Amino acid sequence: MSKLSVRSQPIAIRDVTKTYGSFNALENVTLDIAAGEFLTLLGPSGSGKTTLLMVLAGFTRATSGHVLVGSQDMTRVPPHKRDFGMVFQNYALFPHMNVFGNVAYPLRLRRVSRSEIDTRVARALDLVQLSHLAERPIDALSGGQRQRIALARAIVFEPRVLLMDEPLSALDKNLREQMQIEIRNLHENLGITTVYVTHDQREALTMSDQVVVIDAGRISQKGAPREIYERPANAFVADFIGESTLLPVQAGADGFAFGGRALRATVAPPGGLFLVARPEKMELHRTDMDPAYNLFEGTLHQLVYQGETVLAQVALPEGQTISMRLTSRREVMAALPEPGKPITLALHPEDTVIVPERGQ
Amino acid sequence: MTAASDPALQTGDNAAALRADELRERATLLGMSVPALLIVGVIVFIPVGWLFWLSFTDGDQLSLTHYRRIADITHARIFWQTFEISALVTVLALLLGYPLAYLMSQLSPRWAGICLIFVLVPFWTSLLVRTYAWMVLLQRRGLVNQTLMDLGIIDMPLRLVYNYTGTVIGMLHIMLPFMILPLYAALRTVDMNYMRAAANLGASPLRAFWTVFFPLSMPGVIAGSLLVFILSLGFYVTPALLGGGRVMMVSMKIQQDAGLYFDWGAASALGVALLVITLGIFWVLSRFMRIERLYGGR
Amino acid sequence: MNRTPALASTALAFAFGATAAGAEGTITFTSFGGAFQDAQRAALLEPTAEAMGITILEDTLTGIAEVRAQVLAGAVTWDIVDLGLADCAAAQEEGILEPLDFDIISVEGFDEAAYSSHWAGIIYFSTVLAYDNDLFGDSPPQSWADFWDVENFPGARSLRNVPVGTLEIALLADGVAPDEIYPLDLDRAFAKMEEIRDHIDVWWTSGAQSAQLIADGEVDMLSIWNGRLDAVVDDGINAGYTYNEGIAALDCLAIPRGAPNKDLAMEALAMMLAPEQQANMPQYINYGPTTSLAFDLGIITDEQVAISPSAPDNLAVQVITDADWWAENRQAVQSRWDEFITR
Repeated sequence: MSKLSVRSQPIAIRDVTKTYGSFNALENVTLDIAAGEFLTLLGPSGSGKTTLLMVLAGFTRATSGHVLVGSQDMTRVPPHKRDFGMVFQNYALFPHMNVFGNVAYPLRLRRVSRSEIDTRVARALDLVQLSHLAERPIDALSGGQRQRIALARAIVFEPRVLLMDEPLSALDKNLREQMQIEIRNLHENLGITTVYVTHDQREALTMSDQVVVIDAGRISQKGAPREIYERPANAFVADFIGESTLLPVQAGADGFAFGGRALRATVAPPGGLFLVARPEKMELHRTDMDPAYNLFEGTLHQLVYQGETVLAQVALPEGQTISMRLTSRREVMAALPEPGKPITLALHPEDTVIVPERGQ
Repeated sequence: MTAASDPALQTGDNAAALRADELRERATLLGMSVPALLIVGVIVFIPVGWLFWLSFTDGDQLSLTHYRRIADITHARIFWQTFEISALVTVLALLLGYPLAYLMSQLSPRWAGICLIFVLVPFWTSLLVRTYAWMVLLQRRGLVNQTLMDLGIIDMPLRLVYNYTGTVIGMLHIMLPFMILPLYAALRTVDMNYMRAAANLGASPLRAFWTVFFPLSMPGVIAGSLLVFILSLGFYVTPALLGGGRVMMVSMKIQQDAGLYFDWGAASALGVALLVITLGIFWVLSRFMRIERLYGGR
Repeated sequence: MNRTPALASTALAFAFGATAAGAEGTITFTSFGGAFQDAQRAALLEPTAEAMGITILEDTLTGIAEVRAQVLAGAVTWDIVDLGLADCAAAQEEGILEPLDFDIISVEGFDEAAYSSHWAGIIYFSTVLAYDNDLFGDSPPQSWADFWDVENFPGARSLRNVPVGTLEIALLADGVAPDEIYPLDLDRAFAKMEEIRDHIDVWWTSGAQSAQLIADGEVDMLSIWNGRLDAVVDDGINAGYTYNEGIAALDCLAIPRGAPNKDLAMEALAMMLAPEQQANMPQYINYGPTTSLAFDLGIITDEQVAISPSAPDNLAVQVITDADWWAENRQAVQSRWDEFITR
């Protein structure tokens, strides 16, 4: 399969602020994206992640701050001169053109010769494996096909940067997972600097080199997927990524404590307020365990059967409920006590993370 | 005994009853449209059919007399002028109405609503009053000529009314809302993400408009143009008053034949001819104006 | 029919100029509304109703089409209708009018063009040459030849957008003697119209429009109905006109075929056409009586005589429209007119 050549370039976002009246959609955002990196902006709706993408694409004018691509300041460059490819949430494929027309559109605007257009459109369609649909009208395509055509259109003109705005949110679960892998593969093939916006944390963790968690117009944490998940920098990230119960901890002279018991923790920043209790990190306490484990004694409240896993909800004497996720293998389930009976959960010190309220 | 164990409710032999329910629902829907259908039938189709019949009869005999009579140079001129004026008014209304409809489609609903009210204000005054108002504005010593002369832009008054120009200006003013309303309705539904996509792919705002927004607004353009063109074909009062006798449209000739000479056959023949020519034009247009071909993929 | 004694007695009473007594009944009189019908009410309807002891209801119409519709539908509600001259002749030809009973109706003093077997003229009005006094001062256009003379009488011009009256004007402008106008020499008339075509700024279509044209200074000279011009002058516009080569035309009164109160209507018609009642008209509106006898009664003042379209001196210099010629040729001439006007 032939390849499209791509100039991968780094992006630098410097002190970008966007205000609407008295509302700060973005507040002093500074972010570096390495050349060829796949970076995901992750956050709940209204967090500012889409606004940041729109500022990048040039559709939204920042109130202040700079956007640089390579060595060029793009802040005041209009969108049509930025040379960024973009995949829109609802694809925005032109309904009055067929598949070929859509993919050829950016090439025509660049006055590429007719024969060159044919070659490059064919290559781009090949890349998304839809060469046979070139003459189809857009309304005859399925959701997944539209997704791929939008992708082909965004890369066919060899843009400097690829932007994607929740591109998979309209697809059903199976197709979404398949497309996640395809987009990831495509990125590896092309090596194009990609900024991907999603509110789906699993998608972000699956696809990205770097994840940026955005909360209320600020960057809450930036890091590799594993770092974001395993070492959340604050209560917001811990809560937003994955499942967790945040248990309030007491700060003492020699560390933190929960329920009067000192905690052995790998991450225990000053100003820490909560212990991040993730269900899959919890284990059923066994007597042969390393005594370094932190223990939580409570009552098994109920068992929620979820197919491949089972969730045990445990009521603590302190008033909170924490959960433990176990595979639904027979011997694992047999070891569980009856609901209403006492139970002890164990958390390894490596997985014991204490976080402050919000990131700065 | 509970309902679930009632033996009468254990079978699937209620297909007929369920089918009857469905038919009853459909009959209700049909029944509600009967008054409208009757009105259309009684006040549109019967009279039009009668006029159609009249146009092909002379006395009690089938005859083409009326059609032979209108096949002369005078009627050809009247028809030509009617279509020419209607086409011109349509094109001008589109040129003037599109930017306004575009602006309204980009405004917030609140401001668009205010604009809409201004577009609709002319409907509050009668067509006759508006036509006379144009007379007052455009005449030799009217406001427009007076102002232009006071400003020293012209020495002699321009002939703005009692001719073709005056007719087109007057009709354009009356037709503009009929163009703007369907246009606005269509433009508002064009997803602005298409424009963003076009810009992102490298289209300047002007290119994006012509290659993406305008083609997508074609349904509105066609609806508005059809409405204005067809309404213009039937115009009577405005050309009669602002045309100064120089403009004669088919409707004026029909009025002359029917009102003055009681010649329903001749008047009907004109009406039928107008209908046939109009349908002919649309048939030809529909063959040559395929939107897909104009803006097609390849 | 038990109305006969009453009818005889009213006829008798009328003949002796006495007030009728004992007659009862209602008739419906239909005219064009506005100031014209107001004048007809004061001058004709009220005196007639009082003299005959009947009630006269009123309605309005716009022309022959409505009369025709009533007669053809066999549902006539009007007893006396006022129509324009061409419509009168056309209506007679179409057979939608009752014949007049000239045993009751007197047409003494009428021009022979001013009545027919089925209708009788009730007013004269005239299409005259009018002009802007401010512009022309002491040397205004005084004939249609002057109107055609665009060199010596520059200015914006307007004529009515109908062949009736306008073609007569063209022939007068071309030097045809007033008594030789009919039958119209159409080729000559249209050739003369060609000459003026490019100098006509407006072809007017309604009386209101013609009045507005001269009042607003939109044109400097035009053909206009004398009554319309009077109204403009009354409003303080400095416009003048001449009866010289004016085209006199009539409104007629007629009884639709199958009128519900035909006999009573015939009597009322006789009263309205009589000189005594026609002489009332000029004090309400400047339209001329159709019988010259009306000018001999001393009711019409000298000032009114001077400006009346049918005062003997004024009528002498005008052409009286030939309704019969027009009834016969109207549609053919109209086609030719349309060809001329749309070119």
